[in-house]
Amino acid sequence: MRFWSLFTRNIKETCRDVMALAFLLAFPLLFMLLFGAAFGGSNSPSYAVGVVDNDQTEVSQGFINNALSEVSVLQVSTYNDTDTALEKLRLGNISSYIVIPQGFGEQVSQLWQSKQGNISLDITYDESNLAVSEQIISIINSVTRSFAGIEIPITINTNPINIESRITNMDFTAPGIIIFGLLIMIPTAGRLMLHDKETHFLHRIMTTPTHPWEFLAGYASSMVIIAIIQIIIFILLGWMFGMDIIGSIWLAFAIFLLAAVCSIGIGMVVASLSKSENQGESLSWLFSMPLAIVSGVWFSIEFLPPYLQTFANLFPYAHAVSAARAVITRGVGMEAVSGDVYFLIGWAVVVFIVGTILFRRTMRS
Amino acid sequence: MVIDNPIYFKKPDDNFAIQTFDITRIFGKLVAVNGINLNIKKGELFALLGPNGAGKTTIISMLCCLLKPSSGTALVMGHDINKDPYRVKATLGISPQETTLSDHLNPLENLELIGSLHNMKPKVLRERAKKLLETMGLAERAKDQVRKFSGGMKRRLNIAMALINDPPIIILDEPTLGLDPQSRRVVWKYIARLKKDKTILLTTHYLEEADFLADRIGIIDEGKLVALGTSRDLKNDMIDTHTIVIKAWNLTQKTIMEMKAKYEDVQISDGTMTITDRLADFRKIVDYLHAAGTIIRSAYIREPTLDDVFIKITGKELRE
Repeated sequence: MRFWSLFTRNIKETCRDVMALAFLLAFPLLFMLLFGAAFGGSNSPSYAVGVVDNDQTEVSQGFINNALSEVSVLQVSTYNDTDTALEKLRLGNISSYIVIPQGFGEQVSQLWQSKQGNISLDITYDESNLAVSEQIISIINSVTRSFAGIEIPITINTNPINIESRITNMDFTAPGIIIFGLLIMIPTAGRLMLHDKETHFLHRIMTTPTHPWEFLAGYASSMVIIAIIQIIIFILLGWMFGMDIIGSIWLAFAIFLLAAVCSIGIGMVVASLSKSENQGESLSWLFSMPLAIVSGVWFSIEFLPPYLQTFANLFPYAHAVSAARAVITRGVGMEAVSGDVYFLIGWAVVVFIVGTILFRRTMRS
Repeated sequence: MVIDNPIYFKKPDDNFAIQTFDITRIFGKLVAVNGINLNIKKGELFALLGPNGAGKTTIISMLCCLLKPSSGTALVMGHDINKDPYRVKATLGISPQETTLSDHLNPLENLELIGSLHNMKPKVLRERAKKLLETMGLAERAKDQVRKFSGGMKRRLNIAMALINDPPIIILDEPTLGLDPQSRRVVWKYIARLKKDKTILLTTHYLEEADFLADRIGIIDEGKLVALGTSRDLKNDMIDTHTIVIKAWNLTQKTIMEMKAKYEDVQISDGTMTITDRLADFRKIVDYLHAAGTIIRSAYIREPTLDDVFIKITGKELRE
């Protein structure tokens, strides 16, 4: 029974390789947990919305405090003027802002008395965030009708802002795709080191008086060159498919490069921890796929429950996506994305320090 | 000569290239290397013999600073492996058991990589690499990727990579493993040429390799150094029996019974009688067989081999 012998041998091989077994079991488990957490249960997204009250009546204040603020999915902030609200929108602090026009209170009062009339609101939103904008308009429409107690549709004057130029769907999606491309450098970044480990070539070069940081720098720098080429290809292809970079191309490039350096660093850490190519590849995918799901590369991070947003913000990719989108679609400068950029730099430094410490342990077990 | 860790070995001495002091390595419950004290003189070719799993490669890994000793230490050219690993590494050239080359580089690039990791100057490195390729018979293939090389060529390049930095100590871990006899001889000749200029630590489980090359041999078994000396010393000290081999046409049952009654060990196989005994006298045996009417085709005294030494010490074959 050769088949049976092979079958039992393979079962034993798999079960006795703890890492492989953990990967086989943990990967689907983690995927289902993340998708379940993201889209299942009673979790609902949360949108930051600004309000500029030009009416300043009891009715308009009631609308803000008793209607808008009571909607759990809205985080309402009030601003004194549209310039401030617009700046907050440009910086990505809010997804949209509502302008309550003068006479709003009067219109609503008339409606309450006669059940006839019209209400108009101005909503300005970031067109680049299409899915979120549609959700917000829909929510505000419902809230306003409920507040006014009318069945007729209210007039919402939408104002999708083209902050500096026309924004296409590609402008919005391309940064996410590029970051995803750079995120999946995690498995490839450590592959050469793991190959050298498996073929014992790493052992040979470890017998030379080379320091751990030199090894890491040697492996990582070759990957950085590949990352630079990848980013150039990504940007060129994005441009060919209609992506416009409104802000500084160099700032966008730097953000992508920092994301790539973080991926390479994680790849090096994984390679230092793993004993074989198979083990390293499994571990890399275990890192990269969940991160891709929660980092906003495929859909807006705002759709995630708050605790997953917090989790995503611990890693570099949500920051990279947010900063790259801000530069590409809203044309913001370094002052607006400095927090994200410094976070990425910090992450890159820390991951390489951790990699060096782990590699030092590998060098002399 | 069986070694009993004499205390006088445990002092640092400039005459030695490598000294180990009760060096021990434990993996879980397995004691891979158990308190070995070893002194290898400068310019000496020292062979470490032992079966697979005896602890040879573990000792080498510790000397190369790839593995930390669980206890004890070693001095390599006076540098402590626990305290000064980078200086230790600078004195070593290593040819590992596995043929470890960068497959997509050509031999020149492979040599230059290792040389540059030893901080060699590019011009000196290029010249030395070319010279080594010529010496190893690889100059004609200098521009070919090594993945296209035969096993023998790869082995030779593996050894050349241990020499590129011109180190005072060369460690050759099973340098001829898997080579055909002809290629093995080529490698042996080259190693023999390196003797005296370099201190060489060679591990092998080919007894004839150790016999042919080594100035001194250490036999290691189950992590312990069980014998140490020159090949001749080991054979003389350890083997106190003589083995006489006689091929004859007409060995009778009566003659065989008489020989078995006289000597400790008498083996018969295909008309060949092998007599092993401390008191066996070649002339007496031949005369006795003549007198018994036996027609002798050939008779000789078989020299003891390192295999005999190994069996005598450990009770098992080296290749077990």
